[in-house]
Amino acid sequence: MNYETVIGIEIHCELKTATKMFSPAPVTFAKRPNSCVNEIDLAHPGTLPSLNKNAVKQAIKACAVLNLEIDPLIRFDRKNYYYPDLAKGYQITQQFHPIGKNGHVSIPTSNGEKIVRINRLHMEEDTAKQFHYNTETWIDYNRAGTPLVEIVSEPDMRNAEEAVAYVEKLRSILYYLGVSDVKMEEGSLRCDINISLRPVGSEAYGVKTEIKNLNSLNNIKVAIEAEIKRQSELLDKGDAVEQATRRYDDVAKTTILMRKKEGSVDYKYFPEPNIPPIRLRKEWVDEIIATLPELPEARKERYLSIGLSEYDATVLTQNKDLSDFYDEILKHTDQTKIAANWCISELPAVLDTQHLASAKNKLTPKNLADMINGIKAGAISSKQAKDVLPHLIQGENFEDVVNRLGLKQVSDTGELLRVIVETLDEQAQSVVDFHNGKDRALGFLVGQVMKKTKGQANPALTSTLITEELMKRKP
Amino acid sequence: MMNFAHYTNQKNPTQAVNQAVEAAKKANAKLNAVVTLVDPGEQLSQLEKYAGGKMFGIPIVLKDNVNTRGILTTAGSRILGNYVPQYDATIAEKLREAGAVVIAKSSLDEFGMGGSNLSAATGPVYNPYDLTRMSGGSSGGSAVLVASGVVPFAIGSDTGDSVRKPASYNGIVGYKPTYGRISRYGIIPYASSLDHVAFFTRNVTDAAIALEVLSGRDDRDMTSLQLPVEDYASALNPSLKGKRIGILTNVLKAITNPDIQAHFATLVANLKEQGATIVDIEMNQDLLSAILPTYYIIANAEATANHSNLDGLRFGVQKEGKEVDEVMSASRTAGFGKQIRKRFVIGSYALFVENQDKLFRKAQKVRRLIVEDLKNALSGIDGLIAPASAGVAPKLTDTSMDQLSSTYLIAENYMVMGNFSGYPSVTLPLGYCDGLPVGVNLTCKLYDEQTTLNLALAIEQATGLADQIKEVA
Amino acid sequence: MNRYEPEYFKSLAKQLRFSLSDEEARAIADEFGVLLDQMDLLDKIDTEGVEEMVYPIEEETSFMRDDEVGHTFTVEQALFNAPHQANDHFVTVKVVG
Ligand SMILES: [Mg+2]
Ligand SMILES: [Zn+2]
Repeated sequence: MNYETVIGIEIHCELKTATKMFSPAPVTFAKRPNSCVNEIDLAHPGTLPSLNKNAVKQAIKACAVLNLEIDPLIRFDRKNYYYPDLAKGYQITQQFHPIGKNGHVSIPTSNGEKIVRINRLHMEEDTAKQFHYNTETWIDYNRAGTPLVEIVSEPDMRNAEEAVAYVEKLRSILYYLGVSDVKMEEGSLRCDINISLRPVGSEAYGVKTEIKNLNSLNNIKVAIEAEIKRQSELLDKGDAVEQATRRYDDVAKTTILMRKKEGSVDYKYFPEPNIPPIRLRKEWVDEIIATLPELPEARKERYLSIGLSEYDATVLTQNKDLSDFYDEILKHTDQTKIAANWCISELPAVLDTQHLASAKNKLTPKNLADMINGIKAGAISSKQAKDVLPHLIQGENFEDVVNRLGLKQVSDTGELLRVIVETLDEQAQSVVDFHNGKDRALGFLVGQVMKKTKGQANPALTSTLITEELMKRKP
Repeated sequence: MMNFAHYTNQKNPTQAVNQAVEAAKKANAKLNAVVTLVDPGEQLSQLEKYAGGKMFGIPIVLKDNVNTRGILTTAGSRILGNYVPQYDATIAEKLREAGAVVIAKSSLDEFGMGGSNLSAATGPVYNPYDLTRMSGGSSGGSAVLVASGVVPFAIGSDTGDSVRKPASYNGIVGYKPTYGRISRYGIIPYASSLDHVAFFTRNVTDAAIALEVLSGRDDRDMTSLQLPVEDYASALNPSLKGKRIGILTNVLKAITNPDIQAHFATLVANLKEQGATIVDIEMNQDLLSAILPTYYIIANAEATANHSNLDGLRFGVQKEGKEVDEVMSASRTAGFGKQIRKRFVIGSYALFVENQDKLFRKAQKVRRLIVEDLKNALSGIDGLIAPASAGVAPKLTDTSMDQLSSTYLIAENYMVMGNFSGYPSVTLPLGYCDGLPVGVNLTCKLYDEQTTLNLALAIEQATGLADQIKEVA
Repeated sequence: MNRYEPEYFKSLAKQLRFSLSDEEARAIADEFGVLLDQMDLLDKIDTEGVEEMVYPIEEETSFMRDDEVGHTFTVEQALFNAPHQANDHFVTVKVVG
């Protein structure tokens, strides 16, 4: 039979904040275990939550760009269950009044843009990390209490491509907003995919399964395709799909049952009595929205408008760190295309452009802009610039490098002419050859001049001057 | 008079504190009120830093649900029998900075969940007026250590009259301020929306001073009030000229003890004589009868979640098991008394999705109606008074009170209105029945601590029962 | 509302990660009757259109904590009360499920 796939996605996204959702302990990655906690994160008796203003701000930013209605009254609830990674025995979340609801986002598909509706965005806190060994489980509470938003889509996606496009779109938006690191491998962005099939033309939803722990875009794609295959085979045989939580197995190339859903768990949600409702000041929310950072689409438009090609604009926008760097360069040069070319072609060859702010890289946008201006002005050649770049990455000034390496390009017409006259005098045969229509001769003569100037002659200028001089010597 | 001034005027605070420690040891042999005696040496060595503090050199007791860094804190439960906090409750810091010296952590009903102090892991606390009787609870240990003269001040907590009832049974002042006036940060909870930090003194003036020390916004408690600390003590004024005091007639009708009726009538006559206008206030009887079930549902529902952190994994007494669920279950089964487990089961039942409308949310709605009725009752008056209990402290063996009688439902439980509403409420001595104390309770309007203290002072002057001490030598 | 067998309360207790003895479960089942009678007192009250009261103080607040690092435990403090620990981690027997 022909089936239509129905996919809804829940995304948990760690917010970029200095401290936890409800405690002033720091949020950091890969620190000494249990070194970023206090009594609140460990749920010591008597502790109370204290809401992080910046986490709320990050959630507001996300709501704004996902077109969600923002509830100006912040309320929290308790979700009760027992698990070792949940210190309090309940998670503080927003079950009844999510900060954002009824939004949407547009995603690119092979059939053009498609709107995916977003049911809700709510704030909550992350759990601790567990390490399971043979007979023991070790627990590190550093992650416990890290601010999260959970973004729940409507079941609007119809295939793996759309699901991937949706996740990719959200990742890029949240990253551009500075809301999150969105690192799927490190778990700062986690996807749960709800997936069901129904006969084409049917309105009713089929039984869905939830696939958890997908840590890359590619895994999302292959897992969905595998699950579609698994479910359709079941349905073809006349078997029922069982409502369950599953995970994708890389080796078996299919999804594996984690646990069945026997009825729904009763989390006994109730309003969190320790956090009174908080009224967001309208001016504060308005200001956050008014000062939202530029989003990828707007940035690409801007690049097109300053003359970049579709390709360059796309490539730059896909790498926010590099694109930010490019924008910094443009503060010191108007050579938009040359600068784009250097960012796209040359920098990736010598630098990790996903992490430009690393100890190894001391390249400043100003120095790179100076170099680009130098190329444009003919002070150095593009070829020389490639030799200059590694020195700039070491933190040297463009001027200093050029002087130290003696790379100053000779663009002084008088000096160049002196060398050219000398060369033409020495190479009388080549002059004759030139006038006899042997084009090669011009290249030879330029080469000779370059040799005499130890490569410092401006090649374009040299070529022009030689041609003029040759014309004067026309027999 | 062993009031605050007696201690703050001492030339040698160390000596006075050490005397209190000795008195605590002696009294405790009879009262079983102490969970942990605190060696005050370290605090005394630092005491000079806090010279001029409002409670300088005063030996005090903290209920054992107040977290004290480095000092065992059990909340009266076996599961915390080895818990040594690594942080201080906000009030522990405030009291230290005011110059107070903690000499003991006192017994309580397990997690404050009781009114008898019989459920404490360390056993019952005995009433200094009659050792065969209850201290009352849940702040029983704190109450008897103040009543027996060991200390002039002790912290308690009041979730459903847990300071104001034992104050009545022990002839002392039990003050519960407006919800949020005193930070709850670091107080091991019972039920968050009802929990109040409250305290015992032996007179109203000391209560006013203590309130100044304990009050104030704390950003660590989001329910803490954003209101300045007032000069309650210097503004004390017992004048009743122009004051209107309401008598809660529903309670008086439910009380059958003629002695208590007589003491209360005497007090009322006296207040009238001092210039107060006395008015009868009758609240809705059905609402008052619903206080206990309303309380029971809300308190136990919040409590079952509040204590889900006690799983034996990060702190507390852990019992063995083959896998982690078994460890949690074994630890919680052994760690919680049976009363507590019963209440958690009931509270959890009220929270099930299919029961919430009928139980938890129903109780929260009734709570609102009760608070509205109380607000109306207080609208034309300055304070509402009634006897704080239907009788003297019960015998330790007495658990026979008919749970559906109006005496029990109303007279023994009406003070929970103060927890529902967050309104300031204080119990102070009313008189003695056969040598056993009974108290009078006063409840005033939200935020109005000064009127509460002023009226309490007037009552204290009317009864002449300030600074009552019953030594147990 | 329903009355329940003691076994029902045992199953509730299990969800709450503790157990009840036969005697305790029977006592709760018995006492549940009293509780239900008290619930009748609640049922008598008309709460049509009444909103739940979740907080005693219902004045609106707007305070939120600034995102600045504050009180943090040392690893030693974090693990001070740990029943079992190894290499800076809390340790339990294996988590199943
Ligand atoms: Mg979810
Ligand atoms: Zn979630």
